[in-house]
Amino acid sequence: MRRPREYDTLARVCLHVLLVTISLFMLLPFAWMVGASLKSGQDVFASVFLPSGDGWLGVAWSRLSADNFVRLFRGAGFGRAMLYSTFYASVTAVGGTLGASLCGYALAKFSFCGRRLLTAVVLGAVLVPGPLLFAPGYQVLYRLGLMDSYAGLILPALVPAVGVFLFRQAMIHGVPDELLDAARIDGAGEVRIFFSIVMPMIRPMLGAFLLITFLGAWNNFIGPQVVLQRPEIFPLTTTLTNLRGSQYQDWGLVMAGTLVSILPMMGLFLLLQRDFIQGLTAGAVKH
Amino acid sequence: MTLSSPCRGYSRGFVLIALIAVLSSLAVLLWPVAKRSGVEFWVFATFHYPFYRAPVAQWNREHPERPVELSLQPLPALETRLLSALRTGAPVADMMEVERVIAAEMFIGPLDAVGFVDLTERLRAGGWLERFNEPSFSPWTSRGRIFGLPHDVHPVLLAYRADLVEAAGIDVARIETWEDFARELAPLMAERGPDGRPLRYLLNFWPAQIEQTEIFLLQAGGGFFDEHDRPALVTEVNVRVLAQLAAWCAGPSRIATDAADVTALGNRIRLEGGVVCSPMADWMSGLWRHDLPGLAGKMKLMPLPAWERGGRRTSVHGGTGLVISSNSDDVGSAFELALRLYTSPELSDAMFRETGIIGALREQWSRPVYDEPNSYFSGQAVGRLYIEQAPQVPRRSSSPYTVEARRGYCIALRQLVDWAETHHTYDRPALEQRARELLEGVQADLVRRVERNVYLREGGQR
Repeated sequence: MRRPREYDTLARVCLHVLLVTISLFMLLPFAWMVGASLKSGQDVFASVFLPSGDGWLGVAWSRLSADNFVRLFRGAGFGRAMLYSTFYASVTAVGGTLGASLCGYALAKFSFCGRRLLTAVVLGAVLVPGPLLFAPGYQVLYRLGLMDSYAGLILPALVPAVGVFLFRQAMIHGVPDELLDAARIDGAGEVRIFFSIVMPMIRPMLGAFLLITFLGAWNNFIGPQVVLQRPEIFPLTTTLTNLRGSQYQDWGLVMAGTLVSILPMMGLFLLLQRDFIQGLTAGAVKH
Repeated sequence: MTLSSPCRGYSRGFVLIALIAVLSSLAVLLWPVAKRSGVEFWVFATFHYPFYRAPVAQWNREHPERPVELSLQPLPALETRLLSALRTGAPVADMMEVERVIAAEMFIGPLDAVGFVDLTERLRAGGWLERFNEPSFSPWTSRGRIFGLPHDVHPVLLAYRADLVEAAGIDVARIETWEDFARELAPLMAERGPDGRPLRYLLNFWPAQIEQTEIFLLQAGGGFFDEHDRPALVTEVNVRVLAQLAAWCAGPSRIATDAADVTALGNRIRLEGGVVCSPMADWMSGLWRHDLPGLAGKMKLMPLPAWERGGRRTSVHGGTGLVISSNSDDVGSAFELALRLYTSPELSDAMFRETGIIGALREQWSRPVYDEPNSYFSGQAVGRLYIEQAPQVPRRSSSPYTVEARRGYCIALRQLVDWAETHHTYDRPALEQRARELLEGVQADLVRRVERNVYLREGGQR
């Protein structure tokens, strides 16, 4: 029996009202952050969102200012930190994606001595918890002379074990051997086959992994704080931590910094969300 | 072949991020940052950093051949790097200001592997052991050797909402003990909300506040370790304090609420008058002036109520000290600069005015700056109030197991509060009995951990 159309419409309206309400609740901390970033230290805790006063809607609009953002870029070195975060995240994402996909391709499509052992090593590496590697990693970086440099952060991230395994699986299931053989018969070299045939075929996986790696590097806090030592080259995560005093908190400045550090990621996610979701759901439906 | 052909088949995202990678790499290459040289000096306290810039610049003018590079580092970064360096032998900065719990973690191995220079003889030779506040050395001392110069004393007083207390006609001079405190201020909890609960509580304290718990415990003369740094959780004092703290948080005699320091919610409760009193170290008094300007003129300070008549009226909270890395190749210069920073009267005055922090050098306590009235605290001479209590601050253990011990004590406190609420049992003997049982469990666990460390076992001090 078909349900009446009015019933469907009502259900949809109810659902949307519910979703909008939940969304508003989830946005409350974000709204507080935006409000705090525009308020002076005196007003941060005096009112919940905007400073109360005699202005329109009972808000003291004149007490809102972009002063925290100006201080952020003039005094706190946020401009340079933003550049370093962009550099670190993008190079790590592109390098890590290329490195992992190349290794995954080799493990998936080439027969060579020790392939099974290598695959087992990759799987084993996935199981090692990251914090366990801090001290030995620190020592290796120190011995290689890579402390206090972005090379010390980027190089270890160029072939992530998880990525190698994921790409290997994606290539086993998504790239037919016959297609590769046909390309070879047509005279294509291995490099061309990889970049012109294999990579486009795993495009959803590529997009999702790239965005995840970018996000991971952008938000990486422990790595930069251990490896980098000069505040002048800190990325946003560690610069933001420096804004948080060990005792006194300049909440307006911290909130402005937090807002500035998440906006680029929000923009990028909105721009690339289709790739991201395609990558995550690839293989979820059987064709 | 067109220009776009290499990108064909790749997602927009991949192309965009690859482009960002190329452009940002170029920008980083074109905007280089000079490498540091000379003596490295890390500080983590944003409060201290601006005060050190001028003296360090002056030092560098006097020592151009080996300049000091001062930098502000996040506290977690400092901790991770120190511990990693300790375990791998990699170098860190020549000199560092470290927080006392982090310093304690460095004392986990044999003395010659601490990673900091042993300053005992230098301090003794210069007569500094007598000139600095003696209990302030305790967090930097392990197995009789001193590894750091104390920056501060951090005595604790009780901050109270003078506007509320005085409006209720309460005379705080009548409060000497915590018992007096609960009795005299009880009228302030009379007002009830629609749910029958008090609109206001007397004390900012909750079992989740680990540092506050330690404040009360130390004030009472308790602690987690004995004088030889062996776990000593099951003592009469520890049991009594645990039972009292639980009684403050549960049942009919509840007087405490959770208005955690340096949190948005805690600050809101303070501003709205949801809590009357908070234990306040000297550094916290400076922090409130910045974070809670809305309470200016409404606050006052008084000594902490004692646990028994004639008992100690203060405690200690936090602590920073300056250590010199054992990798430093110029320990003499580093020590000289450390003394210059920690004994400069001008620096000490300026830091007190801005941060409320009392320095650890006792001869500076007579300086007039400490007698200046503070308008935030209703015109009281805040510095003098703290200094009067400073010599009585309790000693603290520098055991590397401090973090585990105080966590265990707080878990026991939470369990005791839950037990009291579940069984509706709030009488003191029953609470103390249960507290003892819980602390015995914590003690056994802690002993097991400490016993694994051959360097800290009895007779195993190396």
